Amino acid sequence: MAVKTKKILVPLDGSKNSIRGLDMAIHIARQSQGTVTALAVKTVPGIYALHPLGFLDFNSMTEIKKLLAEAKVRAAQKGIDLTGKAIAGDPGYDIARFANNPKNKIDMVVIGARGRGSAKEIFLGSVSNYVLHKSKKPVLIVK
Amino acid sequence: MTNSFKNILVPIDGSIYSEKALERACEFVETFDSKLILTYVVEKSIPINLLDRKEYLGILQKFGTNILQKAKHELSKKNIPVRTFLKEGNIANEIDKIAKKEKCDLIIVGNKGLGSVTRLLLGSVSNKISQSSSCSVLIVK
Repeated sequence: MAVKTKKILVPLDGSKNSIRGLDMAIHIARQSQGTVTALAVKTVPGIYALHPLGFLDFNSMTEIKKLLAEAKVRAAQKGIDLTGKAIAGDPGYDIARFANNPKNKIDMVVIGARGRGSAKEIFLGSVSNYVLHKSKKPVLIVK
Repeated sequence: MTNSFKNILVPIDGSIYSEKALERACEFVETFDSKLILTYVVEKSIPINLLDRKEYLGILQKFGTNILQKAKHELSKKNIPVRTFLKEGNIANEIDKIAKKEKCDLIIVGNKGLGSVTRLLLGSVSNKISQSSSCSVLIVK
């Protein structure tokens, strides 16, 4: 088959739904002998992007590192190679940019239907919706 | 594993995007050994002239069966068993209904279809399905 899912991107935010997305990605990777790339984005208000002090918030960066470590353990239990990436910025925008970057060679994005956004939409989270519209790669929405 | 894909639903409309979705679905069937369900929905909700209505729907139905036959033929070459459905009504609603009735675990759709306005980013039907369906959705781009 021409299309093969070798590298799967899973954005994580620590919510139950994103863990479900991770499980699904691990399951798919197991079947097609692929690898999983986990991406955790630390939300930075737009104004801090211009201000150097915005990145000095070490406290929440450790939270993200912890999240990625947990994901790594979860994947290792199933025998899947997982690479973690931590980024600071706007979640939707950065996930889409990461997925579209040809350097990363992402074949599929697996995302939970809802995360932990404050304005909870009834069916689909705002970040999931943004990624779904902006990504040029196939998107699997896990419910 | 609890979340393996037993049934996969692929709504098709004859566009190249739905063909891509079908191709992707074949790959899933091969790796997960799941069942494939194809469906074509004749859209009934658009306001059509009352006099032409019957004829128009007839044409669409013929078109739908044609596409389903073609897809079935294509898949039988790969030895993949399929079930096909031809439904009438609102596209997104009908797809949702089938997914519930047949207990599908995954819906695979193309990101655009044959809508009158080919949107730049995401088709209206794909969007609706992704918002309202109760099972996982894979949008093929």
